[in-house]
Amino acid sequence: MLDSIKDVVRKSSIHVCIVNCGGCNGCDVECVALLSPRYDLEQYGIYVHNNPREADVLLLTGAVTEQWRENLKRVYDKAPEPKIVVSIGNCPISGDVFNQEGGHVYAPASDFVPVDAAVPGCPPRPSEILEAILAVGPQAIADRGREKK
Amino acid sequence: MSSLMWYIYDFARKAWTDAFTNAKSLPELAEKPIRFRDFPKVNKEYCIGCGACTVSCPSPNAIKIVREKDDESGEGLTYPVITPGACIRCGFCAEVCPTDPKTLECGENHLIQPEFNIIPSKKQYIVDDYLCIKCKKCMKKCPVGAISLVNDKLHVDQLNCIACGECIDVCPVNGAMKEVFVENFNGQKDLILLAVNYIEDFVNSKEEDLRALEKDSLLQYDLPLDDIMDEALKIIPDEEVSFQIISNAINRLKIRIIDWDKDNCKKCQLCIPDCPTGCISFDENADTIVRDKDRCLRCSICYQTCPFSVIKYFIAKFSLADDRIIHVTVKASNLNEEILME
Repeated sequence: MLDSIKDVVRKSSIHVCIVNCGGCNGCDVECVALLSPRYDLEQYGIYVHNNPREADVLLLTGAVTEQWRENLKRVYDKAPEPKIVVSIGNCPISGDVFNQEGGHVYAPASDFVPVDAAVPGCPPRPSEILEAILAVGPQAIADRGREKK
Repeated sequence: MSSLMWYIYDFARKAWTDAFTNAKSLPELAEKPIRFRDFPKVNKEYCIGCGACTVSCPSPNAIKIVREKDDESGEGLTYPVITPGACIRCGFCAEVCPTDPKTLECGENHLIQPEFNIIPSKKQYIVDDYLCIKCKKCMKKCPVGAISLVNDKLHVDQLNCIACGECIDVCPVNGAMKEVFVENFNGQKDLILLAVNYIEDFVNSKEEDLRALEKDSLLQYDLPLDDIMDEALKIIPDEEVSFQIISNAINRLKIRIIDWDKDNCKKCQLCIPDCPTGCISFDENADTIVRDKDRCLRCSICYQTCPFSVIKYFIAKFSLADDRIIHVTVKASNLNEEILME
């Protein structure tokens, strides 16, 4: 009974923290576009706090740079369970154009934190990001929640 | 309590219930617009495996060219594979793709063909950097100022050129300013091949005259062009264009002829190992030296090797003017005499 109530609450209220671990800001701009009245992220019960301590979903953007290797793990540890990580754009997947020979990016981000969903694109469309969060987020959070019990 | 009543009253309104139950995203939010440049679409069967897409791609790991396994039905296809995790949808690969139709399709930019001339013309004027002496006469003559000096080289701006042809008339170097027919390149190749083969067959048929040719004298023939003109018009139906292409080719043509009298040959076989393509061989049954005409390069090494001067080497030049008669001039090579003088 308590579990099912928790599931419903977790599914309908998702708190998001955007973590830019060294990208070009293009994907962050697309995330900000989601907050605009045109896409209106909050109508789906998603709130952007930019505070890992109250986040259910970490939105990861950017190829992982030298400074972010340790900090990414710290940010991830600070988020309360159950939590999922959605990587936005190509940078956390492959490093994209920054992953040149002799470059200092440490993509993919899945080397440092477990990534549940990845949205390819440089940058992905806001609707694609929204689709990914809504398709993966609620069920993954509910599943994660039950794992702990 | 009154506010609660107001809420119940407000939510019970038909307009509110209609809007709530029929709520859906606007199509422009849910769907990608037509102009959106999505990940490239790959048409495997057109790929020629040139690798231009991988070179142009700004993102490492985005495009890999793969080749399928060969099987009984033939060779495996070679084609590019796009990794969505690294592709930035810039569309460069589609723009550089040289195949027609395109192997890679991405957006609409690559489908736009640049218009090269404001006036519809079959000719395009270009400067040959190698021959150009940079006298700038064409630059002064050009009525629209389409010719300019770019990086120390004369350059014709095709967007401004009106194809009047005055630059060709004023150019003091033959061939430095070229007019090129921009349509039907394969037809042009066929036409040149037809003319060259016709002339070569004619010269080779004059074997006896060649063998009787004295040193320092010339053989001259007049050959009517009209024999091949009917066939040429089948390839390119424009009389003026095909004549111009043939005369351009023939005026620059130089044919080398290698010939020997088999009766005078001493069969020493010295020319056989010297031939770079191995086209000369000794036919033991007929007891003669045989030359394979198709493989011969006309390099004259056999002519220079032959100790008895049996092998003859001739150079033929041609000219074709408006009188539609090809003037053929054949001259025996004096290569060996020059070597002896030294």
